[in-house]
Amino acid sequence: MNTEERQLSDLLHRITPEPPRRVTVEDVAFRLASQAGRAPGRHYEPRRRFGGRGLVPALAALAVFVVAGLSAGVVALVSHHSTPPVASGGGPTTSTSAPASATVSSSATSGPVSSGQATQPSAIHGGPFGAVLIDHQTFTQDSLVAGDGALFAIAPGSLDRIDPATGVVASVPVASPAPGAPVVDGHTVWVVSYQPGGVIELHGYDASTLAQVASWQVTALGAVSSTVEGALAAGPDGTLFVAAGITVVAVDPSTGQVTQRYFLNSASASSVAVSPDGSTLYVGSGSFRVVKFAVNGAQRTGDSTMNIGGAGGNLVATPGGLWGTVGIGMSEWVWYAPNGDLSRAARVSQGAGAGLASVPAYSGGHIWIGGGQTLVCADPSTGQVLASANLPTDNGALEYFSSVAVTGGQAYAYYEDQPSQRSGVVRMSLPAACASS
Amino acid sequence: MYTSPGVGRPYEPDGFREFVQARSGALLRSGWLLTGDWPSAEDLVQTALAAAWPRWGTLRRQDAPELYVRKIMVNTFLRWRQRRWTGEIATGRLPEMQAYGDAFAQIDARQALLAALDRLPARQRAVVVLRYFADQSESQTAEAMGCSVGTVKAHAAKALARLRDAPGLHELMTGGVAS
Repeated sequence: MNTEERQLSDLLHRITPEPPRRVTVEDVAFRLASQAGRAPGRHYEPRRRFGGRGLVPALAALAVFVVAGLSAGVVALVSHHSTPPVASGGGPTTSTSAPASATVSSSATSGPVSSGQATQPSAIHGGPFGAVLIDHQTFTQDSLVAGDGALFAIAPGSLDRIDPATGVVASVPVASPAPGAPVVDGHTVWVVSYQPGGVIELHGYDASTLAQVASWQVTALGAVSSTVEGALAAGPDGTLFVAAGITVVAVDPSTGQVTQRYFLNSASASSVAVSPDGSTLYVGSGSFRVVKFAVNGAQRTGDSTMNIGGAGGNLVATPGGLWGTVGIGMSEWVWYAPNGDLSRAARVSQGAGAGLASVPAYSGGHIWIGGGQTLVCADPSTGQVLASANLPTDNGALEYFSSVAVTGGQAYAYYEDQPSQRSGVVRMSLPAACASS
Repeated sequence: MYTSPGVGRPYEPDGFREFVQARSGALLRSGWLLTGDWPSAEDLVQTALAAAWPRWGTLRRQDAPELYVRKIMVNTFLRWRQRRWTGEIATGRLPEMQAYGDAFAQIDARQALLAALDRLPARQRAVVVLRYFADQSESQTAEAMGCSVGTVKAHAAKALARLRDAPGLHELMTGGVAS
């Protein structure tokens, strides 16, 4: 800065008054609840486009007011069930016969609390692969997945099911879902949430109706990672793997039994992935380490680090190796590590930063990476780029396409356009090079 | 059926409350410089925080929550100027009330500052607030505004030239006003 700039800066700091009052979380929660009932397309997020879809943020807002101590009785508005005491998830061993964690229920049947209506698809000028916006919902950026003929995503406080043909969204509330995508295994969608005291809840929902079909609790050992990102994965046999403090637990989804614990030395697990053949478990932790375990037996088979001083996560295992993210400050990028060895990792994509997540997705037999300047489809075994499309800008701001999911012969991605305040799921044609799985 | 997250964690992202408590004052002051009044500043800050809420996990991981919130504030401000205020002609500005205990000199200084900022096009005003009040670097300012560093430099130079000619502002910059 030159002298004049410093003088201006000094002046602004000196005479700009203190605000008469501060903004509070309750103010923001009220804003969210108010936005929920507004007309579509007028506000950025986290709005709900359809009348009933406003319930979840409204509940969030109500809950915030509860915390503000306005009325303890309002708690009843957020339906609540008592949870039984949580048993230990097993001691610090790698025994395959670790005692079961507490099972809560497996017969819950409630359906979604809200569902929406179809909206007219709209083309996105300059969008990749003929992108057409099929709904106008706001989701967590890295959470869109495909399974059982539908799309699923996490929104603040809910699991959403998106009909890929119509764009209709159905929603069921989920308390504090962890960052990352839900896992679809057969006809069940699994979501993990972390509760105070190291309690981890695995919620299973029917993929068609969103009725809750199971809810299991397991216990973390040691502190839960503060940078959890992709903490749930499923093996090819349906076994669920969830980051649980300094361990990863394997859970039988039909019984809630913990069948194995995989121990890190001291760092907390922040992300997990399982190789497609089900033989190798990859566990990310700290900033940044990946430990490989044999799924059967829980022996360590590899340990490598990426010494950049930033946290990583969003692990995706493919036949060729491991994909994930790591970042420092505003920058985040996607890497590919052949055979899961971070010492051989290469940066394959640079994210846009400033809250726009660039994550790898493995869907339709290919790796997809967006969230930056391009949307890329790559070979999952070699990392070779098979197709790429430049992403459009709106008034100089890069439009966001990421979290690609393939189903029914078409690709879908989560989309945000900040200047025009649009968001939702886009449908795209599969590029020829990525059309076969 | 569904478990309440429990008192103290109502679907509220980890660290969000701490951020709001720690930074809402500074964000409001930026909002005041952008809009010129407290109700609009509050509206601006609340809009940005509501946008940040659902993606808080990613923002924290990228260590970028404040940059993102400021980006939303600036974009919202620019949009307001485009959509709400087109055609409006400012004929004067009511002085701030003395409810906050300000001395007359401070009130005059603030009115002079706001009047000078009102002379700036919206993008130049945003650059002034981000660069010289929020202490953002040129690259951070460019990222928040969705433009190049060169454009930020150009806006800053033009803004300084206009402010140089604003009545009373040069004296404030060089002479100072008691805080």
